[in-house]
Amino acid sequence: MRLGARALDRSAVVWVGAALALVVLMALPLGWLVALSVSGEQGATLAHYRAVLGDLALRKAVWNTIVLAFWVGLGSVAVGAPLAWLTARTDVPGRGVIRTLVLASFVTPPFLGAFAWVMLAGPNAGLLNKLWRGATGSEDALLNIFSMPGLIFVVTTYTFPYVYIMIANTLALIASDLEEAAAILGAGRFAVALTVTLPMVLPALVSGFILAVLQALALFGSPAILSLPAGFHTITTQIWTFFHFPPKIEMAAAFSIPLLLATALLLLVQKRILGRRGYAAIGGKGGQRRTIALGRWRWPAFGACLVVMACAIFLPYGILAKAALSRAWAQPLTWDNLTLANFTFTFFEYGATRDAIVNTLELGVATATVGAGLVALLAYITSRRLVLGHRLVGFLALAPVVIPGVVLAVALFIAYTRPPLLLYGTLAILFIAYLTKEMPVGYAQSDATFRGIPPELEDAGRILGAGRLRILRDVTAPLARSGIIAAWCFIFIGVIRELSASIILFTPTTKVMSVVIFDLKEEGQFGAIAVLGLVMLALTFVTVAVVQAALGRDVLGVRE
Amino acid sequence: MPGVSIRGLTLRYGDLAAVEGLSLEVAPGELVALLGPSGCGKTTTLRLVAGFLTPESGEIWVGDRCLSSSASVVPPEQRRMAMIFQSYALWPHMTVAQNVAYGLRFKSGVGRSDRIRRVSEMLRVVQLAGYEARYPGELSGGQQQRVAVARALVVEPEILLLDEPLSNLDANLREEMRFEIRRLHEAFGITTLYVTHDQAEAMVISDRIAVLERGRVVQTGTGDEVFGRPRTRFVAEFIGRTNLLDGVAAASDTVTVGRLRFRVAGTGVAPGTRVAVSIRPHAIALTEPVDHPAPGVNALRGTVKRASFLGDSVDYEIALADSDIVLRVVTPVGQRRRAGESVGLQIDPAACIMLTDAGA
Repeated sequence: MRLGARALDRSAVVWVGAALALVVLMALPLGWLVALSVSGEQGATLAHYRAVLGDLALRKAVWNTIVLAFWVGLGSVAVGAPLAWLTARTDVPGRGVIRTLVLASFVTPPFLGAFAWVMLAGPNAGLLNKLWRGATGSEDALLNIFSMPGLIFVVTTYTFPYVYIMIANTLALIASDLEEAAAILGAGRFAVALTVTLPMVLPALVSGFILAVLQALALFGSPAILSLPAGFHTITTQIWTFFHFPPKIEMAAAFSIPLLLATALLLLVQKRILGRRGYAAIGGKGGQRRTIALGRWRWPAFGACLVVMACAIFLPYGILAKAALSRAWAQPLTWDNLTLANFTFTFFEYGATRDAIVNTLELGVATATVGAGLVALLAYITSRRLVLGHRLVGFLALAPVVIPGVVLAVALFIAYTRPPLLLYGTLAILFIAYLTKEMPVGYAQSDATFRGIPPELEDAGRILGAGRLRILRDVTAPLARSGIIAAWCFIFIGVIRELSASIILFTPTTKVMSVVIFDLKEEGQFGAIAVLGLVMLALTFVTVAVVQAALGRDVLGVRE
Repeated sequence: MPGVSIRGLTLRYGDLAAVEGLSLEVAPGELVALLGPSGCGKTTTLRLVAGFLTPESGEIWVGDRCLSSSASVVPPEQRRMAMIFQSYALWPHMTVAQNVAYGLRFKSGVGRSDRIRRVSEMLRVVQLAGYEARYPGELSGGQQQRVAVARALVVEPEILLLDEPLSNLDANLREEMRFEIRRLHEAFGITTLYVTHDQAEAMVISDRIAVLERGRVVQTGTGDEVFGRPRTRFVAEFIGRTNLLDGVAAASDTVTVGRLRFRVAGTGVAPGTRVAVSIRPHAIALTEPVDHPAPGVNALRGTVKRASFLGDSVDYEIALADSDIVLRVVTPVGQRRRAGESVGLQIDPAACIMLTDAGA
């Protein structure tokens, strides 16, 4: 507060600079977004909003999005909550493996899962449908992934980990003695669950539901892959089509604002729920967590977990591997069909994929490096209260959370296709998009890191004669190192899988892997898609392994 | 060796004054304890002296250097001070030797070999020779404490600041470290400010005690002085246990409390002033009830309400006759009184301290 304002020293330039960079990064695009959504020939107008809301097709897209988001939220709770309870509290076999697989599902790019499921459950060539026809002799397809239920299924498959994380971490904090206290007073097992456990988990449950809904609202890849062939739009795919020729940018802006507001509102609700009922998170300090014996339900429960994991991991990863290794992905994997041609094609022969891999890696490293540095500075500023308005800095760093990728892309497109910064068509605009989008995740990680380093450790050095920057180097940086590495990795993972902003901001020379995967689908190049997908997954898992090593715990765990 | 002069220091957090017009003189080589309950502003004062905080008004001088004023603050790193923190603030990624040597990097004229020599010398002084390569996490609480002391002393600071350095230790170790810190102070003679809320600690360690209340110094003096002649109710109650009796000055050396009269240590207060009398439980002697007490001694009668044997003393509650006053009395173990027994009480007037801020 005031001490920061007065005790300015030479390092002040760094702090103020970082804070200003943040404001520009956030304020410029969002300002343009709002401005363009109300701009007309003669001054301000609401015409674009009227056009958007009056259009029947657009209203249908909104309705589809609501249906999708609601069912994904519900489905995620239905899958994520029991799974969390099973792994956190019961003796179901293979809890560690299940947890790892949930993590794998969490970091799998959803559009990759959608592709895999096209190969698994496409009505004509889908593997599962072919097996079904072979087994029953039926002419009809068993599953049609190109449908609203199909879309809901695939999105849920990669969204339930959000609920899982909320519930598992909450259960981990609720000591068994809270439940035992009820049991000793005469409550039966069922009554304990209903009157003690459930109310304590409820905030996390609702909060997880909202997170899942938010994911579904903002998602672009899976709807674009599954709903467009089925002949319906969601808000995000609709915004994307506004950029097709002839572009209707004002319409895109006007259509983006409601999505932005809905996201912000839902996050606010979620925060309030978690904030008010926060006791669930602080209740169980050091208490014992008792494991519940499932008895004869042990193996059926394991079976249920296995089904979930098959849908999220085994089947999709399997079909991707098969497609990567075969000449014709739909044919059985025989010696004749086996090939490495897809790999040589993707890495060496086909220019688009090769360039995309290079672009993605460049952007990933650049964004993660600049981003980790920036969020470290910002988190340091806010945790040590170095500038006036440090609270605002913290707020702004987390604010991009409410901006769906597509909306962010619209805003950046508007802001950087005009002076003073003509960045459209360069990698720079993608860099800025990724930096903005990944800021909250990196900031949250860094903030936790610096809060874990007591300020006295810095004070102790200063009173002995070291300046603030010197102390940053000698004391703060070494202690924050693993936390900053983790922030780097989180940002890197986010960047290499990013599709929803990239799909609007790319130009032919600035394609990234996710965009190329999307393009290749039009060309029917499933082998190359699979190879790129596997590369993406490999990069992701290596990075996750680095995080786990740096933090000494698994990524899904409670952040202290 | 300079002293410290704190003049009219004020710092507010919002509307709350953490330190309000605080003044204090610390003589060169003196160890002054800042003693007070939590929230009295003692740690804020220490951080102001260290330069981590900027005062709203007032000044801090060390020798002939003005280090803090509302206009400018010399940053901590240029103050030639050292500080020992409540949490020790040892750097977990540095070894004991690296922790202790850190401050020497910023002292000109200390070469590498000199540095190593001084570190091992200082570790020997705090009885940690041989622990150079350990990390703080591998040490016990008491050992960590010693490393913190070594790190602060090795730079030969002009001023040493300690912020409740013993509060994280268990009771036995705490007592041992009190004498240790006093010994080191006598060996090095560094001007020292020592923040604590523990009066026994302040008495053992310090040359002088400054008692703080709500951001001000309410009394300074040796342990004897603040204990034996408290100037306010707050000081009387905070330093040791006491019986406080509200009354009215009848003469310059007499106070009436209800129907009772007390001869007190004379202070020249005008008759009729509302005052309080502070009587330490130890200063009251229990006797057989006597009808004609010796002149010049306060003699009272009462009944034992409760007697608690504490091992090395007995703690009584005595209800005074002709009054609703209940006095706490602590006597040596000897003749034991039982609840319900009638007793006489004798109190030396010199042990009855008149406090004039009775309006509180």
